[in-house]
Amino acid sequence: MTTVAADTDAPARATPSTGVRPYRALARVAARSAVAYPLSFVLGMAGVLLQLLAMLSIWAVLLGSGTSVGGFSWPQMKAYLLIAYVTGSLMSFGDWEMAARIRDGMVAVDLTRPVDYQRARFAETLGVAVVEVAFALAVCAVVLAVTGPVPVPPPGQAALFAVSALLVLPLRFTTVYLTALLCFWTQNIFGVSLARGAITNLFSGALVPLTLLPGWLQAIAAVLPFAGMTFTPATIYLGQATGSDAWLLIGVQAVWTVALWWGARLAWRSAVRQLTVHGG
Amino acid sequence: MRTRSGPRQTGLRRGVRLYRRSLGAHLRSTLEYEADFWILVAGSALTQLVGLAFLGAVFSRVPHVNGWTFAEVVLIYSVVVLSDAVGPLLFEGVWRLPWLVNKGELDYKLVRPYPVVLQVLSDDVGINGLGNLVTGGAMFGWALWRVDVAWTPALVVGGLGLFASGMAVKLSISLATNSSAFWLQSPHSIFAYAVHQIGDLARYPVSVYTFGVRLVLVVGLPFAFVGFFPASAVLGAGGGDAVRAGVGPTWLGWLTPLVAAYCVAVAALIFRSGLRRYESAGN
Amino acid sequence: MAFIEADGLTKRFRRPVKDPGLRGALKHLVVRRFADHVAVDGVDLRVEAGEAVAYVGPNGAGKSTTVKLLAGILVPTAGQVRVGGVVPHRQRVANARQIGVLFGQRTQLWWDLPVRESLALLRDLYDVDKVTYREQLERFDDVLGLGELLPVVARKLSLGQRMRADLAAALLHRPRVVYLDEPTIGLDIAVKDRVRAFLRELRADGTTLILTTHDLGDIEDVCQRIVIIDQGRIIYDGPLAGVKDQFARHRSMHLHLADPVPLDTVAAAVGGAQVAAGATPGEFTVRFDRFAVTAGQVIAAVSAVSEVRDLRIDEPAIEDVVRKVYAGELRLVPAP
Repeated sequence: MTTVAADTDAPARATPSTGVRPYRALARVAARSAVAYPLSFVLGMAGVLLQLLAMLSIWAVLLGSGTSVGGFSWPQMKAYLLIAYVTGSLMSFGDWEMAARIRDGMVAVDLTRPVDYQRARFAETLGVAVVEVAFALAVCAVVLAVTGPVPVPPPGQAALFAVSALLVLPLRFTTVYLTALLCFWTQNIFGVSLARGAITNLFSGALVPLTLLPGWLQAIAAVLPFAGMTFTPATIYLGQATGSDAWLLIGVQAVWTVALWWGARLAWRSAVRQLTVHGG
Repeated sequence: MRTRSGPRQTGLRRGVRLYRRSLGAHLRSTLEYEADFWILVAGSALTQLVGLAFLGAVFSRVPHVNGWTFAEVVLIYSVVVLSDAVGPLLFEGVWRLPWLVNKGELDYKLVRPYPVVLQVLSDDVGINGLGNLVTGGAMFGWALWRVDVAWTPALVVGGLGLFASGMAVKLSISLATNSSAFWLQSPHSIFAYAVHQIGDLARYPVSVYTFGVRLVLVVGLPFAFVGFFPASAVLGAGGGDAVRAGVGPTWLGWLTPLVAAYCVAVAALIFRSGLRRYESAGN
Repeated sequence: MAFIEADGLTKRFRRPVKDPGLRGALKHLVVRRFADHVAVDGVDLRVEAGEAVAYVGPNGAGKSTTVKLLAGILVPTAGQVRVGGVVPHRQRVANARQIGVLFGQRTQLWWDLPVRESLALLRDLYDVDKVTYREQLERFDDVLGLGELLPVVARKLSLGQRMRADLAAALLHRPRVVYLDEPTIGLDIAVKDRVRAFLRELRADGTTLILTTHDLGDIEDVCQRIVIIDQGRIIYDGPLAGVKDQFARHRSMHLHLADPVPLDTVAAAVGGAQVAAGATPGEFTVRFDRFAVTAGQVIAAVSAVSEVRDLRIDEPAIEDVVRKVYAGELRLVPAP
């Protein structure tokens, strides 16, 4: 770090770093602290893991004998549930960590650091996501070994799936980040977290494929950003949306991601004003 | 000279009255934050409604799961949700136990003339329980109305007794797991919470799970006795075509009070043993 | 039979010795090593009803541990303890009714409630009748100024305010014995005075008082007896006045003389006492044994040499004695 000389042009507040290095460092630190406490890490993932177990068991009973429901056979539903599980594993800790930092007043320290707050949190999320995905994929491997394989899409479709999958994390990040910002205004993150979790669970298709929901719920899901977190990549994987349909869905994902990212920046500015003017 | 204390209520009445006073005090301080109150109620209600939406979506496509109809599955589900209403509303303090142990905050509780475990349990009120109470209660009422059961007064009383015992099972497990704090170093309830989430598996009929999971839910952490077994027993006794897949004989559910007594005893033992460790090891 | 009886009271803590990190934790599952720490080592203590005992010692000496043993919060490793005929850790509830406890570092108030509510809860927990409750609150208001604190939520109290409220909480039910563990820690002098005044009132009431503190000013007016503990063992147990008389015999008198008299002249005038030069010419410090020579005699002797413009006599603090004891410079033998 350069020393601060008696520079009359020195900025009053730290300007964000333009390089990637600080963010890479943050990502690395976040990943390492996730691995440093393996027991806590696994326990934190318990919720989403148990939901996978419940869903697999229920659908195995319903579809095991070769029937199909709503266009899903057992191998297809299994693929869907595993994708829902992997996407659901992301940001298992995001809510609480961010809210805890805000509540503890550590935010004041963060504000003096020369990194953009939002990008910094995203970098940390990326770091932890690597560990979360690794763990989730390992679980998937076990499930597949025990219960048999799932259909694999052809290369073109797989590429589309990859694109869609990459957009999941930014989308998840922005929604969690936005709700965490509410901590600046409310004391209790628990209620907000519950609400966000419930809404996300339902409208992302993580709990049940959106096409199985009644029409009015599907209509609501269509105007919300959550579908892009689970349903979109899963439906592309299963080949239920192809070609231009798939590209349209990916486009919707991208638009939501960008809109929420900038929405979060606006919310952040408002939150900082709340903090510095009202004392948080 | 020192005046003597006034006439004392003894035993149970005093115990209950002081418990209520403690809960009331915490409830009043929670109500200070009105926005948070409604957010918690809404958040917890939403969570249960989403679960109901899932069940509704499934049952709109299939007539039954493992022989269980929609109303019957909702019966199990709602009882578990109600146990998550009673817990937070009356016994939420248990989740603060790890923090209390880690920070040495049990010291003052040890010098008061009131059982430490009751002081701990009444040390908090979880308003999310209210959201669960409303949604769970509505689901429970609906399910009772819709299931194919020939209700007799005896069956109603027996059934309520079973469901109440099931709640005792759930609460004992919470107390036991949070008491692990006496041996672990962490001030967090993360282990107890993970076990609690295992209990969420028992919202669905336990018969859908493989043998290993069933073993855990019946023997290891008897969450199956919170909703599944009591519901099986009541539905079985109420007549109707028994096509429901069960786990063992249907009368097993009538043993729920025994299981509850066992769980309460074990939890109390673990807590007492933990407290003794606190007194011998300091903190 | 004394009110508090402790015989050979011992508390040994076993701490696991682990290498750091996950590897250390795993290793400890197999190779178990412990280190013993004896916090309280064979303490014998007899306190009569109504006595006020100061329990003094350096950090880690075992003061708080002893208090916890007496209060029944900790179970002794060896030895016996009875308070008011009751074994504290065995008859917890019976013991609870007769004791009041204040841990200076922690509050027993309910964090999110106004002080009034906390006191009301405690009133119910201890079954204090309405009349006594009102009397106590009035009394606390007189001495501690509790009235202004009643409507304030505990977490908004300053340290001094919190201590006052905690004192009220500890004494609401008029216990026969009160254990005060560092009750003035971190307080400014104004609050300390209030607390000490309150403790004097308690003494006048006949409440038995066990007071652990670092601040020896706490005990000067309140306690007649001082127990000094170091490394878990009692190294002195006797009257406070006796300690000062016995071991704080010396006084220091600071003199400011009108004429610039050399050191030797002053020393010669004073005879047996030690004389040291002060910062500026004409300033001297005379250190004398007050049982050998009186202050008046010293002044008279110096006046013969020069006019005394100003003088100041240092009263020895008990701090000095105890500091010396900690440092091992002084071995105290309790008066028979």
